[in-house]
Amino acid sequence: MMQRPWFKVFIWFAGTVFFFMASAALISYFGPVPTEAQVMAYMAGMMAAMENSLMGLSMSLEGDSQLKGLIAQIASVTVPLIFVGIGFGVLVRIRRSRID
Amino acid sequence: MNVRFDFIMHWLWTIVFAILALSGLAMVGPRYGWILVYDIAAADFVHRVLAAVFVLLTSVSVAYEIMRSVKADSKKLTWFIIGKSGYQLFTLITTLIFIVTGVIIWVCMDSNMAATAFSLYIHEKLTYIVIASLIWHIYMKAHALLWPKPSSGIASKAKSKEGEVVSKGGKAL
Repeated sequence: MMQRPWFKVFIWFAGTVFFFMASAALISYFGPVPTEAQVMAYMAGMMAAMENSLMGLSMSLEGDSQLKGLIAQIASVTVPLIFVGIGFGVLVRIRRSRID
Repeated sequence: MNVRFDFIMHWLWTIVFAILALSGLAMVGPRYGWILVYDIAAADFVHRVLAAVFVLLTSVSVAYEIMRSVKADSKKLTWFIIGKSGYQLFTLITTLIFIVTGVIIWVCMDSNMAATAFSLYIHEKLTYIVIASLIWHIYMKAHALLWPKPSSGIASKAKSKEGEVVSKGGKAL
């Protein structure tokens, strides 16, 4: 697998992402003080998160229909992922046991 | 094609951690918002959903290690994300701290501000440490980035198993 060109491209991409991340953290940490526009953009983003994302919904009451809808949405992503993961794990085990 | 379990876990964990770190950094403060164009709602959603996947991957890895210990399997899993020594141990410890502080942030956000603030501080600073360690990890494993030479491609394919390649020093990557 490690010798496949497409996988080499993936490794290069993954490596680049981490270098971007480190650079972004350094630039942000040591960069100039944020402008008022940047602070406002961040605050607006936070407000949007409070309204639309889990941040605000986690603080809501259990009876909130929006919260229930969001939990169902998350479950629709994570539950198949869990089953795909389990299925893939079983497949790997079966394939390995056949080879052994 | 025989791809090893530890190899799959390594790269799955890499993808999940990369997205988690990017979305997490974007939420640190106004200085960092530009990373995801100040779309904090998307960053928050992605961060929380992938946090569940992160916990799942870690749980599977820990369960796998326990299973190996029960079976007295001492074979070194070179690609595995957790282990008893070196960078694998560092990853295990930092991952557990990430999970514990993350749960505290999620659960205590509206009830215990002191615990949330402390956990946020640890969660953030640990992110910088882990990103720096990952740069070091990439540097140490930089030979994996080398493009295979066409002439030696057949020979190296024959020598190396799937999900395992042998470096110049004969050490498994």
